[in-house]
Amino acid sequence: VRKVSIIGAGHVGATCTYYIAEKNIADIVMIDVVEGMPQAKGMDFSQAAPLRRYGVKILGSNDYADVAGSDVVVITAGIPRKPGMDRMDLLRTNADIVGTAAARVAEYAPNSTLIVVSNPLDIMCTVALEASGFALKRVMGMAGILDSTRFRYFVAEKMGVAVTDVHAMVLGGHGDTMVPLPRFTTVAGFPITKLLSPGEVEALSDRTRNGGAEIVRHLKTGSAFYAPAASTAEMVEAVLTNEKRLVPAAAYLRGEYGHEGVFLGVPILLGKNGVEKIIELDLTAEEKTMLDKSAEAVRKGIESLRSL
Amino acid sequence: MKKVSIIGSGNVGVNSAFFIAEMAAAQVTLFDIKEGISEGKALDLMEAAPIRCYRTGIEGSSDITSIAGSQAVVIAAGLIRTPGHDRGEHFRENAAIVGEICGRIVSLAPEAVVIVATEPVDAMVKVVLDATGFHRRRVMGIGGLLDCTRMAHFVSDELNVSPRDVSAMVMGSHTRLMVPVPEYTRVNGIPISQLMSEETVARIVSATREAGSVILDLAQRANAYYAPSSAIAQVVEAVCVDTHKVLSLSVMLDGEYGVGQVPLSVPCRVGAAGVEEILEVELDEEVLKAFRDSAEPVRRWL
Repeated sequence: VRKVSIIGAGHVGATCTYYIAEKNIADIVMIDVVEGMPQAKGMDFSQAAPLRRYGVKILGSNDYADVAGSDVVVITAGIPRKPGMDRMDLLRTNADIVGTAAARVAEYAPNSTLIVVSNPLDIMCTVALEASGFALKRVMGMAGILDSTRFRYFVAEKMGVAVTDVHAMVLGGHGDTMVPLPRFTTVAGFPITKLLSPGEVEALSDRTRNGGAEIVRHLKTGSAFYAPAASTAEMVEAVLTNEKRLVPAAAYLRGEYGHEGVFLGVPILLGKNGVEKIIELDLTAEEKTMLDKSAEAVRKGIESLRSL
Repeated sequence: MKKVSIIGSGNVGVNSAFFIAEMAAAQVTLFDIKEGISEGKALDLMEAAPIRCYRTGIEGSSDITSIAGSQAVVIAAGLIRTPGHDRGEHFRENAAIVGEICGRIVSLAPEAVVIVATEPVDAMVKVVLDATGFHRRRVMGIGGLLDCTRMAHFVSDELNVSPRDVSAMVMGSHTRLMVPVPEYTRVNGIPISQLMSEETVARIVSATREAGSVILDLAQRANAYYAPSSAIAQVVEAVCVDTHKVLSLSVMLDGEYGVGQVPLSVPCRVGAAGVEEILEVELDEEVLKAFRDSAEPVRRWL
C-alpha cells in the first residue's frame, strides 16, 4: 500500500488528509507537534471510513518515526498568515519549522517526494531542499494549482459555465507577483481573452492575485484551507498514481525561463518521479517581465533569509 | 432526480445508461421496440447497483409510454451503416425510424430536451426538429463532443499527460470533413502547438478524422460505443443536473459562424433548458472556411 505523510495537522493538513482519504489511494499519517491533536483527528477520520467507504489507514502521531516508508510527504507546518501580514513576515518562524520538518523527513523517509505548502512558499521550498538534501526533482511547492483553481472558479462564476470547462495557467511566485496568464486560461479551449473584455480579464486576474488575501480579510483570524488542501491532494495523487499531470507548481529552475537556483511557479509534468519535466512556454515580452519580477522577489526573500 | 429516456437498447443506448448511473446524473428508462432486451439490460445493470452504489434507478420497457414525463430523451435507435450500404439510403432508413419516434416524444414527453445519437447525426438533428416542431435549443446531436473526446485522447496519449488536463475542440459536421481546431485544443490552457511539432498536430488531426472508421475496422464491423456513450452521458448530465457545461454539439444554425439552415457542431453552453447559448468565437479564415465547407455532406443528405 502506498503511503503519504502530512506534516502539520492543522486546517490545511487535516483537510488534505480528508481529500486524499476520499480518493482511497494511500495510507495517511498526520504528524504534528501538538500532543494528542493529530491522534484525535486520525481516529475521527478512521471512524468516518465506514460511511465514506475508504479502506485506507489514517494515523495521527507526534513521532516522525511514523513517517517511515512514505512515498510522498507534504509539509504544511508553519504559522498561518494573519490579516495585514505579508507572506515575508512569516519567513523566520516558518523557515525554522519547515527546515526541522524536512530534516526529520529525510531521516525517516529518504526516498520520498516532498511537496511543500508552508508559506512563503517559494522560499520554503529552498529551505526544504537544503534541509532534506533531496534531489531537485523530488522537492516542489504547491502554489500554481491553487492560484489556477481560484482563477478557474472566478472565470466560471463570471461566465456562468461549469467550473470543469475552465482551465487556467498561473505562473511565478505564490505572492503578489504571481503571473496569471489569460492567454492560457480557457473555457472549453477558448482563451478568455477572446470571450471577455480586457477590463474583465484584468479584474479576474487581479482577484486571483489577491485570492488568498481576500479570504484572510473575511476570516480575520485565519486563512484559506479548502482550496489549498484540494490543490495539494491533486499533486499527491499525481505522484502516487504516476498520473503525469501538466500543472503549474514551484520547481527548482536551472536556467529554464532564464532563471537559475530559485523555486518558481512553472508548468511541470508531475508523476512518480516528482518533477519529471519543466515545460518552457513561449511567453510574450510582458509576461516574461512579470515572471522575472516574480523571480526577483523570490530571490530577495532567499537573500533576506540568509541574512537573518 | 430528473428522468432520461433512452430510445434504442443497443450498445450505445445501454452503455449510456451505464455511464449515467455511474455519474448519478438521472433516473434512466431504456426503451426498445424489441421485447425483453430493455428489461434484461436494465435488470443486469440494477443487479450491479449494490456493488457500484448507484443512487439512481434504471428500468427497461418495450412500451413506449414508459418514456412519459422525461426531461431528456436520447435517440440511439437506428441502423448501423454497413460497408457497401449507400449513405443516402442509410440516411432515409434512419430518418424514417427517428421520425416515427419523434411523434411519440411529442405526445409523451412534450417538454423534453432531445439528444440525438443516430447517424448521420447532423442530418438527423434536422429530421428531429422537423418531426417534433421543438425549438432548436431543445434538439442537439452528439457529433462534435465525440470527436472532441477522441482528439483529447490522442493529445493525452501523444504527450503522455493526464487526459484530465486536456481540452480539445472539434467543430463542424460529424463526417470526414469535421474541423479539429488545434489552436483551441489545449493542455491546461497551453496550446498544443507549444507542446508538439506541426507534423504531430497534423497527425492528431488526421487520427481524429479517422477515429470512427478505425474502430469499425478493428472491431470487425461493430461500431464504437464507449466513447459515443460517454459523450451522451455528459450531455444528459449537463441537462439533468443543469451544469451549464460548454460542449461542442450539433445544433441547427441560424447565422452563427455565417451558417444557416443546417445543423453543425458548435460550442454550446448546455443546461436544463437545452442549449442556453452558442459561443461564437473568433476563428482563423482557414478554419472558418473548413467549418462552412463541412456542411456540404449534411446538405446533400437533407
